[in-house]
Amino acid sequence: MASIEFRKITKRFGDVEVIPDMDLDIADGEFVALLGPSGCGKSTSLLLLAGIYLPSTGDLLFDGHVVNDVEAKDRNVGIVFQSYALYPHMTVRDNIMFPLRFKKTPREEAIRRVNEAAALVQVGDLLDRRPGQLSGGQQQRVALARALVKQPQLLLLDEPLSNLDATLRLSMRTEIKSLQDELGVTTILVTHDQIEATTMADRIICMRAGRIEQAGTPDDLYARPSSLFVASFIGSPPINLVEGKAVNGTVDVSGIGFPATGATGAVTIGLRPEHLVVADTGLPGRIAQIEPMGREVLYVVSTDIGHIRILEQGSTAGRGAGEAVHVGFDEAHSLVFDTTTERLIPDSHVKPPAP
Amino acid sequence: MVAATNGTARITATGDDWGRLAARARRTRRVKATSIYAFLIAVSIPIVLPYFWLVTIAFSARTGVAETQVLWRAVAVLVPAVIAFWAAAMLARGQRQRWAFVALVALATIIAFVALVGPSLHLENFIFLVEPDFASVLRSKVGTVTGAVQFPNVWHAFGNSILLAGTQTVIVVTVASLAAYYLSRFDFPGRSSMLRSLLVLHAFPVLTLIVPLFLMLYYIGLLDSLIGVILVLVAFELPFAIFIMKGFFDAVPWDIEMSALTDGASRRQAFLKVVLPQVTNGMLAISVFTFIRGWEEYIFVFTFLIRNTNWTMSLYMFYVREDVMGVDYGVVSAVGVFYLVPSLLLYMAAQRYLLQMSVGGVKG
Repeated sequence: MASIEFRKITKRFGDVEVIPDMDLDIADGEFVALLGPSGCGKSTSLLLLAGIYLPSTGDLLFDGHVVNDVEAKDRNVGIVFQSYALYPHMTVRDNIMFPLRFKKTPREEAIRRVNEAAALVQVGDLLDRRPGQLSGGQQQRVALARALVKQPQLLLLDEPLSNLDATLRLSMRTEIKSLQDELGVTTILVTHDQIEATTMADRIICMRAGRIEQAGTPDDLYARPSSLFVASFIGSPPINLVEGKAVNGTVDVSGIGFPATGATGAVTIGLRPEHLVVADTGLPGRIAQIEPMGREVLYVVSTDIGHIRILEQGSTAGRGAGEAVHVGFDEAHSLVFDTTTERLIPDSHVKPPAP
Repeated sequence: MVAATNGTARITATGDDWGRLAARARRTRRVKATSIYAFLIAVSIPIVLPYFWLVTIAFSARTGVAETQVLWRAVAVLVPAVIAFWAAAMLARGQRQRWAFVALVALATIIAFVALVGPSLHLENFIFLVEPDFASVLRSKVGTVTGAVQFPNVWHAFGNSILLAGTQTVIVVTVASLAAYYLSRFDFPGRSSMLRSLLVLHAFPVLTLIVPLFLMLYYIGLLDSLIGVILVLVAFELPFAIFIMKGFFDAVPWDIEMSALTDGASRRQAFLKVVLPQVTNGMLAISVFTFIRGWEEYIFVFTFLIRNTNWTMSLYMFYVREDVMGVDYGVVSAVGVFYLVPSLLLYMAAQRYLLQMSVGGVKG
């Protein structure tokens, strides 16, 4: 197991700077998710860790030792690629055994460890098949077994669940999480799916254009997003954002005044759909669309400040389309951001407009 | 709404109409298939016929006898047989009936062949396989004994051809695989112009270089040696082989290579154990093409090889034609058949891999 440190790392490909400057500490045994949209540098970070790429400047440390010049083959890192990257010409057994061949593991022990790894991810009965004969979920497990068989000090998962169907994704999520708990291996998960990140990781590193936007627990990122980007990236259905102008304790949005505390200038109000309620007082509007989602119902309410999404508990919609309603919310859940810097204004809240 | 209602009304037909429509579709399909096959048979006869005659002549012509009767008899069996097979396939309803028809036609063809062509068949034209000095034997049959060319043993020429084509293939496949891998995976100054030049090189007619190459081989001291010809052929075959192989390497995902590296393989081990097994089809394809290219090579061996111990099959065939064509074209055909068989076998064995070329191959 290892602790990881990125010390002022930059990475450029020709003229393109993929990672401008990255500082990051990951503790031994931690499960960290790198979350961000595609092209934000999260896969590059992973390949830096694996030793496929070398940092342009800065140092990468494993357990306090600089490993910049240590070759990929010597880093003892297990990696599961999005495509699984199984070797198509080998059987599952040979695939899992492949890393051990280079470690000069005695044959007896290698076979034992392959069987153990295969049993761990429940592919013990598939050892004689070839990757082409496996389903997506089985391939994923084999890739995981191959990464784990060498007892890596660091496990890297690159979008491991994105090629699975919804049900399988749910169960693999749980499995990977409990496997990590059990083995205690430092794990870094790269994903663009916020649900994956929030459900599996101890800590989430939200990235944007090669920079770390916010690092914290899933709860931190959800309840106290440090920027508009994080706020809009975390949460499903996405947060409602409306731009306004704060003057004298009131945020004016398209002529509607929201009583506010601690805000001045151009601000953006963030309201999570699950924190909004269909009420008798508050922001007036009309239900434009109803989307039943199983346990919840999503109302899209057309108001003077635009379409607002409201998530209501309960399996059936209590209201009909076209009905005139009011949107209400609790002041404590409202978020206010500075529109120009896009940062959160701490301790600033808004209230629903007075009737 | 109105338009939709009209549409529904129009396509609703009575039971009778459906039957009529289905019958019309079946008829059209049958006519189409029939005419396509008729066209294909018509255009393939001029291609197939020379080979058919070559084989027929090789097994039937007799020294000093100019007789073409047997060829027409053979055609009289072949053409009706092809048409009968086609008609059987067209007229049969269902798989079992088709097999029965085909078996029937095959039987009739065999009987007709044995009856009409069979009596003329013999193996005497293949005398060259056992008698190196067959030219003298043939001449003695028609009375003129002197002046025959001293032919080397045909197996010697055969061996030379195998050696030439085989060595050339080994070199081309090895070099092309390594070069193509590098071109596919590494970025280096001049990479794109190199890729362009690969195609341009292939565009030059090779014959234009024959004089400078002759001089070059002469000065190096490789004139009249198989190695010299092999090197020349390798140089001409490489660009295209590299280009094809690059396409195959491009199709191998980066991920499995990265995976191999993190699994503890060195770059070389990753190439040998993980990447190379993914492109075996490409290697087989260029092997077959290069081998056949070397097997059929004529211009360069004719120019650069002089001693008859260096003759390849193509030269052997050329001199047989020079020497005994007027005396016995049956032997010339027999040599032709002997020359043809290895490449035919190779093509048949490798067909499956050659088809892959279009899939993995030409992707730039």
